[in-house]
Amino acid sequence: MATPGFAGKILLVDLTKKEIIPLDTDEYAMYGGGHGTSTALFWEYCVARENWDLQDAFDPRNMVSLMTGAIVGTGVPHGARTSVSGMSPQCYPVQWFCHSNFGGTFGTMLKLAGWDGVAVIGKADKPVYINIADDKVTLEDAQNLWGLTTWKCQEEIWKRSGIRYGQEWVNLDGSYTMQRPAIVTMGPAGENMTRVAALVHGGGSGAGQGGFGGVFGSKNLKAVAVMGSSSLKIADPKGLQNALEWMEKTWGGGGGGFGFGGGQDVQSCCAGCGTARKCHNRTRAHGQDSDDCAESTLFSQTPSNGQIPSDANARGMDLCQEYGINGMECCFQGPMSFKTDHNPDFPIQPEVPAYTALGWYMKKMYDMGVIGPGTSYDMAPLNMKQFNTNEFMEIYALALSKRHGIGDMLAEGTARFCEKLGRTEDFKTLCRLTMWGYQDHWSMPGVEWAYGNLMDSRDINSHDITHSPGGGFGGGGAAPDAEKFVRTMAQRTAPFNDPFWFDYSWEGKQAYDTGIFSRHKAQFTAWHQHYWNYYKESVGFCDWGYSNLYSGSHPQNFGKTPEVEPRLLNAVTGKNHTFEDGIEIGRRAWNLKRAIFVLQGRHRKMENFTGYYYRPGASYCGYSPNLPIFDGSKWEIKNSKELYFTEDGVEHWKTHFYDIEGWNQDSGYPTRKTLEDLGMKHVADYLESKGKLGAA
Amino acid sequence: MAGDKKTMPEKADKKKFSRRDFVVGGGTALAGGALAAVSPGAAQAAIKQDSYPLATHYLVYDSKHCAGCYRCMTACSLVHEGEINFSLARLQMHRAVLDEYPFDISINVCRQCPTPLCVENCPTGAAHISAENGNIRMIDKDKCIGCKTCIKSCPFIPYRPIWNHYTNKATKCDLCVDTPYYNKKGGPGGSQACVEACVANALKVVTELPDQTDISGYDRDLQPPRKAMPKMPFGAPKGKSKAAPAAKES
Ligand code: SF4
Ligand code: SF4
Ligand code: SF4
Repeated sequence: MATPGFAGKILLVDLTKKEIIPLDTDEYAMYGGGHGTSTALFWEYCVARENWDLQDAFDPRNMVSLMTGAIVGTGVPHGARTSVSGMSPQCYPVQWFCHSNFGGTFGTMLKLAGWDGVAVIGKADKPVYINIADDKVTLEDAQNLWGLTTWKCQEEIWKRSGIRYGQEWVNLDGSYTMQRPAIVTMGPAGENMTRVAALVHGGGSGAGQGGFGGVFGSKNLKAVAVMGSSSLKIADPKGLQNALEWMEKTWGGGGGGFGFGGGQDVQSCCAGCGTARKCHNRTRAHGQDSDDCAESTLFSQTPSNGQIPSDANARGMDLCQEYGINGMECCFQGPMSFKTDHNPDFPIQPEVPAYTALGWYMKKMYDMGVIGPGTSYDMAPLNMKQFNTNEFMEIYALALSKRHGIGDMLAEGTARFCEKLGRTEDFKTLCRLTMWGYQDHWSMPGVEWAYGNLMDSRDINSHDITHSPGGGFGGGGAAPDAEKFVRTMAQRTAPFNDPFWFDYSWEGKQAYDTGIFSRHKAQFTAWHQHYWNYYKESVGFCDWGYSNLYSGSHPQNFGKTPEVEPRLLNAVTGKNHTFEDGIEIGRRAWNLKRAIFVLQGRHRKMENFTGYYYRPGASYCGYSPNLPIFDGSKWEIKNSKELYFTEDGVEHWKTHFYDIEGWNQDSGYPTRKTLEDLGMKHVADYLESKGKLGAA
Repeated sequence: MAGDKKTMPEKADKKKFSRRDFVVGGGTALAGGALAAVSPGAAQAAIKQDSYPLATHYLVYDSKHCAGCYRCMTACSLVHEGEINFSLARLQMHRAVLDEYPFDISINVCRQCPTPLCVENCPTGAAHISAENGNIRMIDKDKCIGCKTCIKSCPFIPYRPIWNHYTNKATKCDLCVDTPYYNKKGGPGGSQACVEACVANALKVVTELPDQTDISGYDRDLQPPRKAMPKMPFGAPKGKSKAAPAAKES
């Protein structure tokens, strides 16, 4: 019998062999579900069984998996994410094993159909979609769906059935449902194997970063549709209700986090979500801008100066959802610009947008005369005279997703576009690309976010720490008293409870002793990654709600972490896990991922920040500048806009970090002891056979 | 595809669907108030108007403010069955994610009809009026023989009784009377799991018989008076929540 909270089966589909294989979820329980389980499946089916170099995400041997965790489907607020994993065509220069996730009802429906996840390998000989109705799984012809936008594709699948959803009960072999299939699909951007293609579910629940739409495209897989009428077992139904009531009473409706309360005339994106963030709507439906989930295809081209009409902005967002484009990667500019004062040599002073995404960079290149008239790069089919208009947005989306004209270069994503222009120097100046080719985001001055980017394979998009005190460290009126604040945060970060995790001293000896290059910060980063790998990407908790270390709703300003997660989970699964047990599962999944990275070529020498991180102020993201700083005797909240790394400091930090993780100091490879302690002797053996096991 | 299969019930409503529900009699869609005048399907017996005591409590809803989060359905199934299954939820919210407001969400609840055809037509008395529970129209699972007569008799589209495919019996909204997995006392006068779970104040139990003329008696604006949401180019309105970020982030 499956562990309560899990459906019990994972669907493995081999598109080459047209095989549909049910796997037992519990066999992967030690990886925690979600991304952890996907990592284990990737190891088993893509690494250990295939002898290949793991370099091309479009290779049919790559696996793309959609995986849920224990909390998905339980109606718990901020608990309905479906994790997407696989080698990523967007990562640069190596197409690392990577992840994304999306909300909506897909994961819930999947579990109610009796499946915890879907993992896909191989390549179909013609376009197909996977159709799941409870136990019945079929590969359906998708030739007539090819070329359709994500919305049209979903509508077509619904229409094909001839059912008037919402007006009649649908018979699923003797059981009945009133619901329509939940569908996740790629759009034209995925079909044409761009590196900026999203997976889209519903109106705008999307998995953008990673480019997994293109991986669907490479597999001739248009969509996965699911409907179910099965039961999801809950170990302690009353305990779950009590836990939810306690949580909502203590932290407010929707359960706290940094979303805002429900009760608006809008749909929740996720099943169970109490934040009603309008995530799910097409922008025009409410005459408002769509505000997608953290991992969705956010598309923004409205700069703070308001130059661009919001109409084109709204159209741009819709187009991203429709064509299945990763809006975060392709947008025209982040919503904010910032100025730095002490950085006169920064080439685009005084205004650096928060995200210097593809659209913004392309325009910059055009304005600088690098592309366009008089150069060898024709802008067609884009007409730059139409910039800022709906027409321009339409053509941009079309060109990009169909690789027309200049769209072919753009479809490679910002990093590779830079490379094609011979301007990789721009990574560290103009376009502020973090490591692995992703746009900068909120990574600084929250250094644990930046360090997370460095050690993972993408912009980790993990707002929790940066946003913990509500509107930023010391911002938003929260945490007037620095020491009280760090002590509160420390109380919530079990089992270490170390206030120096929150010391952002970046200069002089203090930076090495307790600040951003210290062992404290390395431990914090490790904890944060372990937390993330389990509670967020594997259990299914949403970034908008977790972790939550500091809360204005609680009398002592305690956040939900670390009490809420295990209490909810134990009620669902019937286990008696402590918070720390979850951290340990996350550490296992993280180390397994590390082993995959290492096989793909990761080495300590590669793990360096892009140049701008080493310039005072240049990596500031325009947000949360006020951070707690310890000067050796007392705490203070200080404006830390100028915060920057030094190369020596980062090396120092890395030495601590590898040591804490149990990775070899010279290579960054995990050691046998580390892997065996985590129950992964088979991984150690495999790394050893490839000469990639870290020396003790 | 699942939809290749036949659907149930066999009756059909051709009208455009829009956060409304319809009653069907003799193949025609009619408003609920005309109920007494028609004898749908198997319900050929003369309807004994006024022969049923009114229920003391009714579940009403606000489809225009529903967020479509499924918590009501999750809770309903959890407190009755101890597990989560949308097919066993006794109210059915349906979300057409790509349709535009207000055509995107419909909510279907049992109306606790003054003349309950489910009760009227049940051959075994399983569907009954429970005097000890506020005259709620309930189904006694021990007496139910799984003939689906109540399902076929319910004049609303979609029908409101639920088919439990594990027990092969019908069940229906009992205002949470029979809830072994509920952490509270349910039933009329007690709590209702769906109402408590709703994030959007979109469900409520009332004690007066709702207007039976059409759907508006049940589908009501349940929101407390409040200011309209300002249109924001990005993110949350400032000051709306302590936790709202000071600036747009993603
Ligand atoms: S099941 Fe149908 S007929 Fe019976 S009381 Fe409810 S709405 Fe009326
Ligand atoms: S009142 Fe109780 S039985 Fe009726 S729909 Fe709500 S939760 Fe279900
Ligand atoms: S709980 Fe409330 S908001 Fe959520 S689907 Fe049900 S009625 Fe709608």
